[in-house]
Amino acid sequence: MLDAAAREALAGLKEAGIDFVSGLPDGWQRNLHELIEADPDIHYVPVCNEGVGFSVCAGAWLGGRKTALIMENSGLRVAAEYIARISLGCGIPVVLLLSYRGDLGDTEHWAIPHAMVAEPLLGALRIPYQVVRHRADLRAAIKRAQRLSEAQLHPVALLISGDCIRDD
Amino acid sequence: MALERYEFLTRLAARLPKEALVMSTYIGAVSFEWAAITEEHPSTAQLGQMGDVIGLAVGLALALPHRKVVCLDGDGSVLMELGQLVVMGQESPLNLAVFVVDNGVYESIGSGKSGPRATATAGKTDLAAVARGCGIAHAVNVETISELEREMGLAFSQPGCRFINVRTQPGHARVPPRQSDGFEAKYRFVRYIEQLEGKQILQLARQDRQLMKP
Repeated sequence: MLDAAAREALAGLKEAGIDFVSGLPDGWQRNLHELIEADPDIHYVPVCNEGVGFSVCAGAWLGGRKTALIMENSGLRVAAEYIARISLGCGIPVVLLLSYRGDLGDTEHWAIPHAMVAEPLLGALRIPYQVVRHRADLRAAIKRAQRLSEAQLHPVALLISGDCIRDD
Repeated sequence: MALERYEFLTRLAARLPKEALVMSTYIGAVSFEWAAITEEHPSTAQLGQMGDVIGLAVGLALALPHRKVVCLDGDGSVLMELGQLVVMGQESPLNLAVFVVDNGVYESIGSGKSGPRATATAGKTDLAAVARGCGIAHAVNVETISELEREMGLAFSQPGCRFINVRTQPGHARVPPRQSDGFEAKYRFVRYIEQLEGKQILQLARQDRQLMKP
């Protein structure tokens, strides 16, 4: 992620009132994880498995925190089991920030399956989502995602790509 | 002779501090027995399922560090997602005590002609050893009532991140099934925390601001 986009994302998280973030760093959002970890207003919990990260966020929400899970879109497949059990089964909100690997402009062959699966899987999990391809949209998109997530008591996702990631 | 699960749960309920919170599984025999013993008290979140109960408890403990959080899970559930022990060890919340009912079988699926299906803890896997390897400083196996009482005494009188693997024999008590689903359990638990902590968690009453103008 470009540093300017990471700063926008951090500002969006804070303006949305999100004070608890879990995640597994990936190549595109590593610098956002670093910014969040250094921020005194956000409790950051690194995990080695996105499903565990989702469970931790859900538990923190029950205790009154506003939460987000940050991961590569491949991590959605890992987290899907726990999203289904916890959020489809009980109704718990978590904002999901996913790097949209395999989107237009990606150069990595291994990322192609990640893009093929991500949007259909979000649909299967009944998760509303927006693809954010412009840095200028990122901050407001995070705030809107958080509002809807709290209103529907279910996750909302942003797939982050385009000029948030690269300057070409 | 290993402990009976119902006796363990009864003793745990009796020793539980008044304002402690419990994160528990919401399906299976442990869930039904705990619900019957505690009469579905709202201080228990019966929200966890296979592989997510400890993760939920870690998040809850981190969100409310001043509040004792007890987690109630089963061996099959812990085995499904051992990564939960990694984050528990890394974060090591000092207000969290995890009790695992380890009977070495997948009891809730019933028994066939060959008896209940064994979990890996009936074989070579030692969950307390795994927990220690994940950085949980206090991780023990408990096999007797005196060991259980000592561990509960420590867990409820001193801060510490604890993993207490309670070896029980298979078999379940005859209790009625729980009458609430995950949504009802969620609302009940969150409303209880709102009252206990004096803060609003659910944001369901955000009416259109235009309607609220004088």
